[in-house]
Amino acid sequence: MAESTDAAVKEKDEISSEAVTVDTDGFGASAMTDEVVLDVKNLQTQFTTRWGTVKAVDGVSYHVKRGETLGIVGESGSGKSVNALSLMRLVPSPPGDIVGGEVNLNGRDLQQLSEGEMTEVRGGEISMILQDPMQALNPVFNIENQVGEAIKIHQKLKGTALLDKVVDSLRKVRIPAPESRANDYPHQLSGGMRQRVVGAIGISSAPAVIIADEPTTSLDVTIQAAYLRLLRQIQQEEGVGIIFITHDFGIVAKMCDRVAVMYAGRIVELSDVRTIFNSPLHEYTKALIGSVPKLEEKTGRLPQIEGQPPLLYNLPPGDAFAPRSTLEFSPEDAERRPPLVEVEPDHWVQLSKSSCADFDKYAHLMPAE
Amino acid sequence: MTTAEKVTIPSAPGVSDSADAIISIRNLRKWYQVGGGFLGFGNKIFLKAVDDVSFDIERNKTFGLVGESGCGKTTTLKLLLGLEEPTGGQIFYEGEDVSQMSKASRTEFRRSVQAVFQDPWSSLNPRMRVRSVVGEPLEIATTMTKGQIATRVADLLSEVGLNPYQANLYPHEFSGGQRQRIGIARALALNPKVIALDEPVSALDVSIRAQIMNLLVDLQEEHGLAYLLVAHNLATVRYMCHDMAVMYLGVVQESGETESIFNNPMHIYTNALVSAALPSHPDIQREEFLLPGEVVSPINPPPGDVFMTRTPLEVDPNHKWANERPPLVEKEPGHWVVETPWSMASDAGLKVELSGHAGA
Repeated sequence: MAESTDAAVKEKDEISSEAVTVDTDGFGASAMTDEVVLDVKNLQTQFTTRWGTVKAVDGVSYHVKRGETLGIVGESGSGKSVNALSLMRLVPSPPGDIVGGEVNLNGRDLQQLSEGEMTEVRGGEISMILQDPMQALNPVFNIENQVGEAIKIHQKLKGTALLDKVVDSLRKVRIPAPESRANDYPHQLSGGMRQRVVGAIGISSAPAVIIADEPTTSLDVTIQAAYLRLLRQIQQEEGVGIIFITHDFGIVAKMCDRVAVMYAGRIVELSDVRTIFNSPLHEYTKALIGSVPKLEEKTGRLPQIEGQPPLLYNLPPGDAFAPRSTLEFSPEDAERRPPLVEVEPDHWVQLSKSSCADFDKYAHLMPAE
Repeated sequence: MTTAEKVTIPSAPGVSDSADAIISIRNLRKWYQVGGGFLGFGNKIFLKAVDDVSFDIERNKTFGLVGESGCGKTTTLKLLLGLEEPTGGQIFYEGEDVSQMSKASRTEFRRSVQAVFQDPWSSLNPRMRVRSVVGEPLEIATTMTKGQIATRVADLLSEVGLNPYQANLYPHEFSGGQRQRIGIARALALNPKVIALDEPVSALDVSIRAQIMNLLVDLQEEHGLAYLLVAHNLATVRYMCHDMAVMYLGVVQESGETESIFNNPMHIYTNALVSAALPSHPDIQREEFLLPGEVVSPINPPPGDVFMTRTPLEVDPNHKWANERPPLVEKEPGHWVVETPWSMASDAGLKVELSGHAGA
């Protein structure tokens, strides 16, 4: 476990304290460092179906630094969840196959590991917080059992050492009276508490990277806010890198340091969160951000994105977003797969004439065919 | 609607006099008995899902109900649709008490109030073609011939942005957004005056949500529809709704014009909800107010103010409103709030700064 030396880290033990908590701690101040813990290169995952091959993840590359939150945004079918399962090597096979690319975690390519080695990595160095925390717990085992299971496998502890570690994990996710709560069963906990238990399982073995796959979609706003804050606090204390998979730009605005926008299995834009919100270059990113109603002001008629997300069966080779773009369709985009180009430092865009209004400005950066 | 006489709709706290109400809900209650009362003896235990709720839905306008799960907003919607029988209170449609209606007027009422549901994957029968899904209400409730129904279905489909030839397809052949359009076409089939929208966009892809919200706004203008919108996304409510009510534990805590509430939320609970909502830009760092405790069970809620177990302020157990349900008070024209010594945000110093850049 990395000793957190960040002076800004404050111990906020009482999330559900008796007095009202007015708290912006953990937001705004990023725990990001420059040390890359996860480096994904040209990852490709396909599904073979009777209608054709689905390239669910079609050559994506990105990295996550220690203490950083990378948001992966996309609609259903954009490949964001398959991307997460591919990192964990949990893609069901058949029909799915990881057909190419590297997933380097702490300098080790996970694709080269044996299944036995991978079991040690999963839940150890890299762990996942699933979509529905309410259903991720087994109702017939108590909390000690469920949190302890991961610790037993990864840290080979037992007896009182194991129990101590379980209580320690529960304390980290701010569960009041963790010693007695460890004996409870999931039905004895409230929804918010159950989620924290799922979080405790996720962090119990001090992973380098946590993948959070829409962990708050089914929740009420107040519980969501508390859970997001908790994730951020844990991140600052443990220095863990988080991949946050979501379709909600509100979560991106609140949680993420950098953002990758996915469309039809590819990354169309990747940059830091402020650049994505202030000066997006890809039409899809612009349209997505523009089409969300704002809480802060009464907006006029929302601009809407026409058309439907594409079906991924035998997707044409060219620019997948071109049919929905408001820009004029450029015939060369029908065949050519638009490259992801670094147009400004750390601002990557899938450049094509049909999907980028500023194409001409960056045309000289296009790689030669 | 011709047989029964129009009655005077009683006024209620929380409702400003409006001449143009198409639906008036007054002191509506839905209590479920969950225990006690063995053979008619003993104390009965009730789950008070909706307790004394009053509001008006105006013609051509949208009324929003917000609150956390378990606050009673969906039960209220079901009561309006007649899917649940109220334990008490009245629903007036066009000035007529629904429970006193003649059979004919009740049928007319049922036709005029339709619904669009949250999940377009489970709300359409997978074994029916679209023309049957959309045409079913016409078959049941009108005397139209098959040919007339087919024409009407084609018109409805083009109105919601689908192709008339798609009437022959099955629901699974459509995407989520298109399915929701089918659901809307079905709701429109009988020319309703009111549509209850239960989280109509929350199950849809982000890029599709604006399409559906805009379609609903357009249909409202075209047909003069009134909507009851139940949603947990406050930004959606601000975009769609003219008036709204914030519910907690089956009781309206604050109600009024949407803009008035967002510009000046008065109740601590409303402020807490708004402060927890997600920002629309990374530079917006709202201060979040987390209320002490968790949402308590609606089974046998406190006899007084239901909010008193969540307030950060001190509650005097001998105060009148700790033992008796406090009413909504009109603090600004058209802006009502439950006012107790422990419920007002201004007293607690917890006013949310919507576009607040915290840490400044």
